[in-house]
Amino acid sequence: MVSLTINGRIVKAKDGEMLLAVLRREKIDVPAMCHHAAVEPFGACRLCVVEITRAEWKGWCDYVTSCLYPVSPGLIVNTHSDKVNELRRTILDLFLARHPDCPEIAELAGEYGVFKTTYETVVGGNNCILCGLCTRICDRMGFTAISTVGRGHGKEVAPPLRQAPPDCVGCLACAENCPTKFIEYKLRKKRVTIWEREFELLTCTKCGKTTITKDFAEYLSRHRAIDAGYFEICDECRRKNLAVSMGEIVNWERELLT
Amino acid sequence: MSYRFTVSPHLCTGCRTCELACSFMHAVEGKRGATRIHPLETGFKELWVPVVCLQCDDAACVKSCLVDALKRNPETGTIDLDREVCVRCMACVAACPFGCSLLDDQHNLVVKCDLCGGDPACAHFCPTHALEWKPIETVKRKQAV
Repeated sequence: MVSLTINGRIVKAKDGEMLLAVLRREKIDVPAMCHHAAVEPFGACRLCVVEITRAEWKGWCDYVTSCLYPVSPGLIVNTHSDKVNELRRTILDLFLARHPDCPEIAELAGEYGVFKTTYETVVGGNNCILCGLCTRICDRMGFTAISTVGRGHGKEVAPPLRQAPPDCVGCLACAENCPTKFIEYKLRKKRVTIWEREFELLTCTKCGKTTITKDFAEYLSRHRAIDAGYFEICDECRRKNLAVSMGEIVNWERELLT
Repeated sequence: MSYRFTVSPHLCTGCRTCELACSFMHAVEGKRGATRIHPLETGFKELWVPVVCLQCDDAACVKSCLVDALKRNPETGTIDLDREVCVRCMACVAACPFGCSLLDDQHNLVVKCDLCGGDPACAHFCPTHALEWKPIETVKRKQAV
């Protein structure tokens, strides 16, 4: 355990923990777009910047991304000093210039008082902030169907060779966790299309409700040793099945005792 | 002292108080959440079964989770879902053979019973003691009739 000072408060943290995890646990509102607890920190959006100093630094301070900075004893952290807020405003200003139509960025920028960008807006851009959260989550889940391709201005998130990815199973975790809701998927009756690949959705044999994709179910039963029969019916029908089978036992016992 | 959560379906009257207690206990941002316990009709007369997570030993939800968001809590013995880690891939919702890992549509979250962190609200509100939270010494395993 290490103890550090955050905004004048002494806080305990585990060894080797990242600063942002401690801030989140202490319910200190530090904005972050590329952070997700399931994956390793990346430091792409730079919004979680904080001011750090130490008693022995004699008034000098440093500005670090808290998601990538491990805690150490005697650290003095300020999450909302004037300089930090100014840094965040600059980052949000640049985000607004690059993604003028993104509601998520506009909302966050509004919280910090940036309503209009002071830079020239980029025409013909998209809402992807290139934080790599989708690719990191895809890697973490073990599919690695998408990655960032190209460099500089041409950098973007895409499947290999910009074709329908063979490794994708259509779990939609990339789209669900995209901070700017840029990754789109089309959900039609019994099919879902993501990354220009169409997947068939499993339907409940009892009520017809769609669940996960067929490919994802196959992956889970093959690699995680889950009975393929589990995926045949939806969660609601399975609850009903459980109630009926338990009811049979209770009813049998009740009849026996009366 | 260790406690055990007991469900006695023959005492359940289907009043759904547990559902209400659960939703208010698991409120998100001041709005009530989805209930983790479902008293369901069985098709038999005057017989309801409160369907709730069984905290299986070899749980399909834990096996299906590709990001290790579902873990057994050593203190309470329940399988807890870490909401921060969950990526909402719906694998556990599809994999649970009893349908007790479910999606909260309103908040777009995957939810499951965590026994309220070791003091289930449903047991306190159950008027007929169909749901009980009692010390492990007082729980008698039912003998075969």
